[in-house]
Amino acid sequence: MPVWVDGLLRSLGLFLLVFAAIRILGKKHPVATSPFHFVVYSVVAVMTALLAVNIIPNFDFALAALATWVFLPLLLDYLALHSKALYQLLHGKETIIIKQGKVMEENLKQVRLSGEGLLKGLRAKNVFSVADVEFAVLETSGELSLLLKADKRPVAPHDLEWKVMPQLEPQTVILDGNILHDSLRRLGLTLQWLQTQLECSGVSLENVFLGQVNSAGELYVDLFDDLIQLPNPSVREMVFASLQQAQAELLKYSLSTEDPQSKKQFADDSTKVQQVVEKLRPHLLR
Amino acid sequence: MTVGSQLKNTLAGLKGAQATIRLYAQQTRHEQSQIAFQEGLIILSEVVASLAGRLQEIELAEPQYKSV
Repeated sequence: MPVWVDGLLRSLGLFLLVFAAIRILGKKHPVATSPFHFVVYSVVAVMTALLAVNIIPNFDFALAALATWVFLPLLLDYLALHSKALYQLLHGKETIIIKQGKVMEENLKQVRLSGEGLLKGLRAKNVFSVADVEFAVLETSGELSLLLKADKRPVAPHDLEWKVMPQLEPQTVILDGNILHDSLRRLGLTLQWLQTQLECSGVSLENVFLGQVNSAGELYVDLFDDLIQLPNPSVREMVFASLQQAQAELLKYSLSTEDPQSKKQFADDSTKVQQVVEKLRPHLLR
Repeated sequence: MTVGSQLKNTLAGLKGAQATIRLYAQQTRHEQSQIAFQEGLIILSEVVASLAGRLQEIELAEPQYKSV
């Protein structure tokens, strides 16, 4: 057997083997995991490289070593699922860096992180002032996780006591000018519906790069031809406005009529429409 | 504009809103929104009925202002 065929077969076999091994080792990103996993990945990589270029003369010996480095971490990972002590032994323990807004200098020293390093870590999280941080932890992967002080956190609808419309994930129904029939069916929509929607906005299917249906059942399309301006239909806002208009008009009739019975009727109707407006506000506007 | 035609205008606006909300009640995928839309529709149909009744009364009382 010529040497090059040997090399080809060897590399091909190893490629498939290592591919499978890395798959088995899991989904974790090699950089974001613990140093332990980093070492495992490195050893597997180096050993494979050495094997591939025939630096290790004894093939079986190397394979056995490789198998050990693939399966032992797997076994340890599995055991660590059940034992907290083993998990901490493998992955280490996270260190609290800032507690109740105060930097813990001893812990900093313990993890050999300088003040500069801490500031850099905070800046990476878009925090430039230590005063904004309530609590910070150095994870075992070396990443800084932090909790901002209550008044420095981004505002959520909950903070404003807003009710918002619950939203489901949008479904992609057109990709590269092709209709995705599966997701259409999942939404319970028909081909005719899609064609009508496209006709309404005046675009042809071939011109659509991407089409998504949001949880309110509205179609959003992105076109190949970026010069075409699509109308932005704000149907829900318009319905909301017309409800508010009707409410105001009913109130006006109730004020201008002199007959007491119809005065009351108009006032009641106006209150009812107001109720609907409040009830539908989160679903029509937000 | 007479009172009758003003009322008719309001009624038409309400009916239009009702129709669009009915559409959304059908096509919204989230159950919570569907329920809200349907509850809103029930109240709106009461208002529409009451307004239509009032319109009839006005047209009976002042037939000279009846619009087609």
